Amino acid sequence: MKPSTLSLLRRADLLVIAAVFLVLGGVLTIQRTTDFVIFCIFVLAYDLLYGYMGRLSFGHMLYLGVGAYAAALSAEHLSGNPLVALLAALLCGALVGLVLGPIIVRTTGACFALINLAFNQVGFFMAVTALSDWTGGEDGMSAFYDPVLGFDFGDPWVVFGFSLICLLAVVYLMKRLIASPFGVLLRSIKENETRVQFLGYDTFRYKLVAFVISTAVAAFAGGLTIINYVFVTPSFIDPGRNVEVIFACLIGGAANIYGALTGGVVFMIISNYLPNYIERWEMFLGLVLLVLVFRFRAGLWRYLAALVARSGAKEVVS
Amino acid sequence: MISTLAYGLTIGGILYIISIGLTLTFGTMRIVNFAHALVYTVGAYVVMTVTARIWDNFVFAGLVAVAVAVPLSYLIERFVIRRLYGQSIDYAIIATYAVLLVGVDVVKWLWGATPMPLSDPLNGAFVVLGGVELPLYRILVIAVALVVFAALEVFFRRTMVGKIVVAGLENKEAVRSLGINVDRFFTIVFLIGSALAALGGVLYAPITSIHPYMGFQVLLLCFAVVLVGGMGSIRGSFVAAFVLGLVIAVTGRFWGPAAETMVFVVMAAVLIFKPIEA
Repeated sequence: MKPSTLSLLRRADLLVIAAVFLVLGGVLTIQRTTDFVIFCIFVLAYDLLYGYMGRLSFGHMLYLGVGAYAAALSAEHLSGNPLVALLAALLCGALVGLVLGPIIVRTTGACFALINLAFNQVGFFMAVTALSDWTGGEDGMSAFYDPVLGFDFGDPWVVFGFSLICLLAVVYLMKRLIASPFGVLLRSIKENETRVQFLGYDTFRYKLVAFVISTAVAAFAGGLTIINYVFVTPSFIDPGRNVEVIFACLIGGAANIYGALTGGVVFMIISNYLPNYIERWEMFLGLVLLVLVFRFRAGLWRYLAALVARSGAKEVVS
Repeated sequence: MISTLAYGLTIGGILYIISIGLTLTFGTMRIVNFAHALVYTVGAYVVMTVTARIWDNFVFAGLVAVAVAVPLSYLIERFVIRRLYGQSIDYAIIATYAVLLVGVDVVKWLWGATPMPLSDPLNGAFVVLGGVELPLYRILVIAVALVVFAALEVFFRRTMVGKIVVAGLENKEAVRSLGINVDRFFTIVFLIGSALAALGGVLYAPITSIHPYMGFQVLLLCFAVVLVGGMGSIRGSFVAAFVLGLVIAVTGRFWGPAAETMVFVVMAAVLIFKPIEA
C-alpha cells in the first residue's frame, strides 16, 4: 500500500470501521455481529485503564454487569425506552466507579487487579443472592424495550445500527481523549507516576476520572448487551469471565484504539467459533495467552501495521 | 458458637497454609501467582486418587500429593515465572492465569468435571469440648497449621537459607551485593510455598468437594489474606488468615451465602485505612 492511501485510510477510519462491521454482519449472523460491536466498546473502556493508564483490572466484568442490570431494571421499573436504559446503565456505572474508585485507584499493580476482582466477587454475590428479589438470581430476568421514533429495538438490524453508531462515537471520543492533555497525563502516569506528581499534578484526581470514564463506558456496553439479548443473567457479572477482555486487549495490542478493536473482533471470532472445532478450548486459550505474553506483546494490530508499513516502504523504493 | 469458632479456625488454618506461598512469591519476586491455585487443586486430586486406587492411608496419600506438587511447581517456576522476573507485574498475572487455565483443563481431562467427595479420613471421630462435639479432623487441621507456623518461624529465623530469604524480602539488591545468588534461594522458597499449597489442598479435600475449579475460589480468599496481612509478611498472613477464617465462619452461621463475600468486605475496609503501595 502506498503511504498516501494509508493516510487516507487513517483519516477515514470511522468509515473503515463501519464498513468492516457491515461486511462482518453480512458474513456472520447480524445478532452475533452486534455482540462483536458491543464487546469492542467494552474492550475500548478497558484499554483506557489498562493500555493507557497501565492499571490491570481483574474485575471489569463488575462494571459491565452493573450496566447490564441497570438497563434491565430500568426496563422493568422506569420505562421501556432503551435510551433511558442506556442512560441508567451509564450513570450507574459512573456511580459505582465514583464510590469504589477512591479505594481502588490508590493502589497499583497487583493490588489494583485483585481489589477489582474482590469487588467483582461481591457484585456477583449481590446479583445472585443478596438482591435476587430484584435481579432474578441465577435465572436472571428479561427486559423488553419500546420502539423509539419509529425504530423498533426488537429488530436485530436496528440494534446493530444503533450499536455501531455508539461504537463509532466511543472510538471518536476515545481518540479525542487520548490526544488531549488529559490523555498525555494518563500515559505519563503509566510511565512514571512519581514524576507526574513532581510536576505538581494531583495524580489521584486524574486516575479517578479515568477510572470513572472506564467504568461508565463499560456499563454502557453492558446496557447495550441487554438491549441486544433482551435478558440478563449473572453470567454478565461473572468474575470468571474477566480474562476475556484482558485477552482481547492483548491480542490486538494494548494502548491502541485500533488494536483494541482488532483484539475485540478476533477474540469474539475465536470464542464464538473455535469451541465448535476444538474441545479443549480453555487449554487453547491459556496456551495462546502464554504465547502472547512471551513472544507477541505488541499485539496483532501493531504487527500488521508494521507489515503494511514495510511493504509500503518497499514500493516507494522500487 | 464453639463449633462455629472451631470451624473458623480450621478454615483459617488452611487459608494460612495456602497463603504462605502467595505472600512469599509476592514479597520476594513481586509476582502474583495464579498458578498457585493449580498446585492446590492438583494436591486435592492426587490425595483422592491415591486413597482410592493405591493405599487407603490419608497421611501417605497426603505425602504423595505434596511430593507431586514439587516437580510440578518447579516446571511452572522454571518455564513461566523465572522468565517474568523484574518485568511488568501485569504480564506475570496474565501468564500465571494462563497456566491456571491450561492446568485446570488438564485436570478436567484427566479426572472429569464432576465434583467428587472425599470421606473424612478419621471416619467422623470427634472430640468433646465445652459440651460440644467437634470433628477431630478439623481440630487436627488447626494443629497442623500451628506446626507449620512454628516450623516456618524456625526456618526463617534460625537457618541460613531462611535468613537469606528474609533479608532478600527486605532488600534484594543489598543481599545480592554480598555475592549471594538470591534468585536460587527464591526458587527454594517457591517450592516450599507450592508444597504447602498442595498440603492445603490435601487438608481441605475432606471438608469440601473436589472439582476442577476449586482453586479459583480459594485463591481469591488467599489473596484477601495476603492483602490484609501485608504482602510479603509471613506473620501478617498468619494473623490475617485466622481472622478471615473466623469472619467466614461467623458470617456463615448467620447468613450462609454471604460467608465468603464478607471476606472481601473486610478486605476493602482494611485497604481503605491502610492502602498498600505495591
